Amino acid sequence: MKHSPAEILREYGPFPGVERIHGVSFDGENVWFASGDRLNAFDPQSGQPLRSIDVAAHAGTAYDGRYFYQLADDRIQKIDPDTGAVLSTIPAPGGGRDSGLTWAEGTLWVGQYRERKIHQIDPETGKILRSIESSRFVTGVTWVDGELWHGTWEGDESDLRRVDPKTGKLLERLDMPAGMTVSGLESDGGDRLYCGSTSTGVVRAVRRPK
Amino acid sequence: MDSLITAAALALAAGDPLGALDRVALREDAPALALRGIAMAQLGDFDRAKLLLRRAARAFSPKEAVARARCVVAEAEIALVSRDLGWPAKALDAARTTLEKHGDRLNAAHAGHLKVRRLLLIGRLDEAEHVLAGLDPTPLPPAARAAHELAVAGIAMRRLRTRPARAALEWARNAARQAGIPGLMAEVATASLALETPAARLITHGTERPLLLEEVEALQASTALVVDAFRYAVRAGDRTVSLASRPVLFSLARALAEAWPGDVSREELVARAFGGKHADESHRARLRVEIGRLRVELAALADISATKRGFTLAPRQARAVMVLARPIEERHAAVLALLADGEAWSSSALALALGTGQRSVQRALEPLAEAGKVQSFGHGRARRWMTPPVAGFTTTLLLPAPLPSS
Repeated sequence: MKHSPAEILREYGPFPGVERIHGVSFDGENVWFASGDRLNAFDPQSGQPLRSIDVAAHAGTAYDGRYFYQLADDRIQKIDPDTGAVLSTIPAPGGGRDSGLTWAEGTLWVGQYRERKIHQIDPETGKILRSIESSRFVTGVTWVDGELWHGTWEGDESDLRRVDPKTGKLLERLDMPAGMTVSGLESDGGDRLYCGSTSTGVVRAVRRPK
Repeated sequence: MDSLITAAALALAAGDPLGALDRVALREDAPALALRGIAMAQLGDFDRAKLLLRRAARAFSPKEAVARARCVVAEAEIALVSRDLGWPAKALDAARTTLEKHGDRLNAAHAGHLKVRRLLLIGRLDEAEHVLAGLDPTPLPPAARAAHELAVAGIAMRRLRTRPARAALEWARNAARQAGIPGLMAEVATASLALETPAARLITHGTERPLLLEEVEALQASTALVVDAFRYAVRAGDRTVSLASRPVLFSLARALAEAWPGDVSREELVARAFGGKHADESHRARLRVEIGRLRVELAALADISATKRGFTLAPRQARAVMVLARPIEERHAAVLALLADGEAWSSSALALALGTGQRSVQRALEPLAEAGKVQSFGHGRARRWMTPPVAGFTTTLLLPAPLPSS
């Protein structure tokens, strides 16, 4: 297993009216994050806030190239980014104990926080296709270049870890500095991972190791 | 944090405890138990809230020290609000240390303020002042700031420093308004009222008038001989003689001061000091002994001379003699004064605050209840006492969020 400290490239925010980040996503251009009662976008180049969608947003956020998927209460909502309308909902696999969310190749991956699990589910029905286990509380999950990454947060400690999507085996670990907790994780498809903070309402960019 | 916990926490923060309960009612994991505990506290079910928070603290893993500490602080706040003053103060100190160590300054400060409020309630002013001095209010959000300033005002009022009390109340009023919490604004208003209502009575030359706290403060600077029925002391200038442990001597001093410059008959002194209706020979003998003792105690401040029918006070330097008494004097004024805060008290909490035994508090409460001046609810150890009418539990429950880093 590779193990190194997380290299933090940049910090975005805090943003007005945002106390905590609950989920992070990337639509190819802008970074989106869930802050309780809305989804907010900012420009990762300038750091400027762009627009927001008023929708219940209690945990992880994902983007499939066309729609957003957003955990709220014990459901996953499918949201039209243009109108903000909730198009459909499916039950979340953890019954509301879910934390991270990401889209990959036609399925959704959902973190189940204190149960330390990640489920792969059918985005139409919510049916669990597969589950893997982590050794720590799971906050965010994301796929990039065939790699499955998830954020952890237990006690005061957080790290970002790459795991084998079949077995859950830990392959690589990036330790966050003490006190920097992670909620929500998303890659920009390149060498950046975006993760939310739970204590200060900022989004951090972390270098993804090659 | 998971989705439902976030949703429940948002509902709680928005003042919707039922909405919060709805989401986590059936969950038994640590964050859900903690949220349910806080929601129940906000709904006024303190017993259930305490149990839930205790279970939550146990259910968080040892690694989740901050979450555990916040549960302890929340439980301490519930204990304070329900006047369970015997709640282990050490647990609160330990939680405060943990929160400080982990950089949760806000909740550490909250724990500190709970400690101060408890010390204030049980009358340990020096300690309360000491703890408060170690808390910096500047970075606090409005609700916590208001609680801080209320504590500052509380101490200043008990120390008879009205100007700092007024200033602190002004801060508290602004902060409470900013926080937008009605209960907090009401608490500030109640505290402010104390400055505008008589805090004491001044008895001099056989007449009496009510005094505001400000006037009581001014009296401290006067050169008069003051017999102080709050502190059971006699003072003139900067000399003070405490008679707190000698109630007979104090009632004699007070009777003499009330009649000054006139004298008081032996019969009356016997009646006031010993409660006897007729002064027989043994009473007269005892009176001579007690007057002799009082003369020794007050030697530096005043002389006590015998007159034809009794005794009179002759101050050494002071030009005037006055008595400072409680605004309403009845037998159980001290108990009523504590209950006047509108909260529900247990008899053990009253005993702790008054520095007396629980049995004597109960003896005071029974006649007060019969006279309709106080009322009780609950049974056994859960029994609580209030002054009617029951205006609900006015509390400033600012329970700390029990979730890690939230």
